Amino acid sequence: MNHSTLYRRGFLQGLAGIGLGAVLPLGQAALAANPDRILVVVELTGANDGFNTLVPYADDAYYRLRPKLGIRANRLRKIDDQYGFNPGMAGFERLFKEGQMAVVHGCGYDNPSYSHFTSASYWHTGVPNGGEPYGWLGRLADAIDPQVTPNFLINIDERQSLAVRAAKHVPVVFDDPERFGRKGLYQSRPLIDNNVQGQASSNASQRFLEEVAQSARQASVQVSAAWRNYQTPVDYGIFPMDLPKVASMIKAQLPTRIYHTAYRHNAFDTHVHQAEQHQRLLTYVSDGVSGFMQDLKRLGRDKDVLVVVYSEFGRRAAENTSLGTDHGTANHVYLVGPGVKGGHHGQAPSLTNLNAEGNVLHTTDFRRVYASVIEQWMGANSQALLNGRFDTLPVLA
Amino acid sequence: MKKQRSQGVKISAMNKWLSFAQAALCAGVVWLTAPASASDTLHPWTHNLQPLSNSDWNRERAAHLLERAGFGGTPQEIDALANMTPAQAVNHLVRYPRTPERYPAFEASGAHDAGLEPFAVSRPAATDLAKATGEALGVKVKPDGNRRVQQVADRYLYWLRASRLETHRLGYWWANRMLNTRRPFQEKMTLFWHGHFATSEEKVRDFRKLHAQNELLRQHATGHFRTLMMAVAKDPAMLAFLDAGANLKGAPNENFAREIMELFTMGVGHYTERDIQEAARAFTGWNYQNLRFVINPAQHDAGQKTVLNRTGHFNGEQVIDILLAQPVTAEFLAGKLYRYFVREDLSPAYQQRLGKLLRERQYNIGDFMATVLLSKDFYSAASVATRIKPPVELLVSTYKKMALKAVPGIPDFNEQSESLGQKLFYPPNVAGWAHGRSWITPGLLLARGNVMYDTVFPPIDFSAPDRVPNGLYQINPVADKLAQGLDVTTATKPEGKSMGEMSMSNNGDRDEDFNTRLASYHAWRKAIEKVKPIERATAQLNLSKLMRQAHCTSAEQAVAHLVHRFLSVPVPAEAQAKIAAMLAQDLGTTDLRVADSYMEDALRNALHVILSLPAYQLG
Repeated sequence: MNHSTLYRRGFLQGLAGIGLGAVLPLGQAALAANPDRILVVVELTGANDGFNTLVPYADDAYYRLRPKLGIRANRLRKIDDQYGFNPGMAGFERLFKEGQMAVVHGCGYDNPSYSHFTSASYWHTGVPNGGEPYGWLGRLADAIDPQVTPNFLINIDERQSLAVRAAKHVPVVFDDPERFGRKGLYQSRPLIDNNVQGQASSNASQRFLEEVAQSARQASVQVSAAWRNYQTPVDYGIFPMDLPKVASMIKAQLPTRIYHTAYRHNAFDTHVHQAEQHQRLLTYVSDGVSGFMQDLKRLGRDKDVLVVVYSEFGRRAAENTSLGTDHGTANHVYLVGPGVKGGHHGQAPSLTNLNAEGNVLHTTDFRRVYASVIEQWMGANSQALLNGRFDTLPVLA
Repeated sequence: MKKQRSQGVKISAMNKWLSFAQAALCAGVVWLTAPASASDTLHPWTHNLQPLSNSDWNRERAAHLLERAGFGGTPQEIDALANMTPAQAVNHLVRYPRTPERYPAFEASGAHDAGLEPFAVSRPAATDLAKATGEALGVKVKPDGNRRVQQVADRYLYWLRASRLETHRLGYWWANRMLNTRRPFQEKMTLFWHGHFATSEEKVRDFRKLHAQNELLRQHATGHFRTLMMAVAKDPAMLAFLDAGANLKGAPNENFAREIMELFTMGVGHYTERDIQEAARAFTGWNYQNLRFVINPAQHDAGQKTVLNRTGHFNGEQVIDILLAQPVTAEFLAGKLYRYFVREDLSPAYQQRLGKLLRERQYNIGDFMATVLLSKDFYSAASVATRIKPPVELLVSTYKKMALKAVPGIPDFNEQSESLGQKLFYPPNVAGWAHGRSWITPGLLLARGNVMYDTVFPPIDFSAPDRVPNGLYQINPVADKLAQGLDVTTATKPEGKSMGEMSMSNNGDRDEDFNTRLASYHAWRKAIEKVKPIERATAQLNLSKLMRQAHCTSAEQAVAHLVHRFLSVPVPAEAQAKIAAMLAQDLGTTDLRVADSYMEDALRNALHVILSLPAYQLG
């Protein structure tokens, strides 16, 4: 496919899109403004215990709520006279102290759901208690890239996240770049590397499969080459999530501007005996994210990248009787990168004013974080994308 | 070589409804299109629960039924169903207790012993207990010397490894059962329930509990839902998975109550947080001891509870009955069964009708499914060949159509299905596997084609993951260094690159009482000593024989036969011609009789191309 047909296809789609007329010029403006900026979103599935991640050690209420699980002040990695990171999080401590981390406190939404899957879908779509079919990152891609650049939106996971589901983009979703290619003997290549099935089927499932196959053909060559040609001296720790894969694609200068990855399998759902396990998980995340930023610096791309770390909700303020914590509400969002305005943002929720379930009340609508990222980092109009006006936070420098 | 022109695969010219005997033969292969499948418009059969009439029964519909109610079949198995009436065919599958099951029971290796009970919640819990009491997991602390609790750590990790390896054997056993059973619907339903009552070895860490749960799901697969639900609620695997042991009087743990409402019965949005907290109290004290369900009366809260506007001194069973009495439960369950067996899109109105049907059938799953599988709706264009097969079904149905008698040991079945997003006994989370289009991403679609490649052309560098740890646990270098006479501290020092700031997790886990990496090495060695190996043979595929049996004599006929045998949707003649041309070029002739003695690899290559078509995912 040559450039002009590609552009033409996108252009026509942009015009044809219902209600997208206003988005097209904005999208172009955004591309012109920030052509190199990349957004990497990392989800901690299972609901990370924020209170034991960034501990409010100066608040006595914390220790009253968590007589057994509360982490003593002398064990913490203190970042100021109020907060300290979990002892396992050297990387986060360093990033914060270097001004490369913005912590947004108390992120949540009204009428919180305590179901992992429901709440995750709210965060993925950016529409709590609504039926939005597309993800916020999918809608963002459609808005800023109406010409539908192949490989614009990448989701590294076993399954596609709702966060990247888009009306126009077919997100590139894969898990292992080494397997993201098609095996086949020489004489079969023309048949397996092209669409031999031919004309469009009347079967919608079949049409869907052909579309995905097309996206796979476009992406697999570039992604596998990026991974093959990538080596790093940087230590990402024992479980780097998928961040080295993202680094390889940034190094290879793929046109990707949005990545979504996850710490998978509800790993942070720590209902019982959580202390050691939770600290281990946090160490992996902290090592992984700080390793990623070091690697990007090595590649000279750190200033182009913003990492956003979030969870579908937090955990209950009080510990439970099984040395774990139950489902909660508001939580931190961590924004990482040289482009952030480091420090604390938003107001920390009160640990004494709890709701009927014993949960903190959110202080920051999580869509304010999205709006800030959409406007200040990606240069798009957040009101159109989030179906409403959410005040931005000064999280980006 | 002679240039081959397509001789025109004889697809459309012949009479539409050939007898089953002819259809199985190459010369007579036709694509039998269900009358309505050429159109997306609403067919009069859509949403029609009336039974299909005998005159509408044909081989294609029999094949559709076997795809959905089982794992597809060979031409012979499809012929057998096509020879019945639709009602007989559905009953033959759904009323399976009449069909004797000869499949042998799972044989455990004997890796478990009484000393492992009760198993420690974590490695620190085991080693701390040993330090405090001098013994844990049936192992005493060494009276003196270095690493006095090493053997306790060894034993803790031994059971984790052994249980995992046994679970992989169990996965093989089940997949083989799916392939060879005479009751495919029972296995299909058991697989459905495994996703519904999702329970993972990752957390349970005891294959014995998962095996017992699997038998439980199979036993009650098509009975009354209440019986099944009660049994699952008391099932040790489920109790372990949802932290029942932490649900205590005065300190209820909500995990179990929440999932029972959200995922097993009503679905999200039909209850309040208060309902969950109250229901959790009714389940306090429910627990397991080893493989038995127990209620600890001292931990049970017998007080008054209000659940879904009903108040009483409810116990767990009574709460389940309150949930089952909600009409929304029938709708939730009927909708989930329908989406799994028929199609993804389901209007709220039709879901209500199905819920009503399930209640009319008194929650008898077999009765409900018999009606659904016989309904005209099930055979309507919107339903036929529109379902994306879940990975396990894709693999098992592929083996079936290949006429294999055993699930291949090379490559590893569990790894193959896992690479596609589904591993038996390891659902990704409490919600089980998401179905439909979520099975397909660009990466997963390519992986599906590659799994087919590895089945027809198995890897020659395969090492059995139930013997060789490969990169797992980073224990290979430990074993090497110990054999070279290095001390434990040196031998277990993490290898590898580091530059600048060393990450925390690679700083090693040092404790003077034991060494975890040494324990990990010991644990693996002991686990592979106890756990029997999985049989490792490649697919015993004989496509040449299948071609002879089907009387295929040309490359075109071979491709037509394979396409018809494996796919549920038509492949255009031009595409078949291209594949046939490739096959003919490989063979040096279009005449299979000429190539009979050497055609196997060329046929396999052609089959790989056919099974790589995106449409092969449909059934």
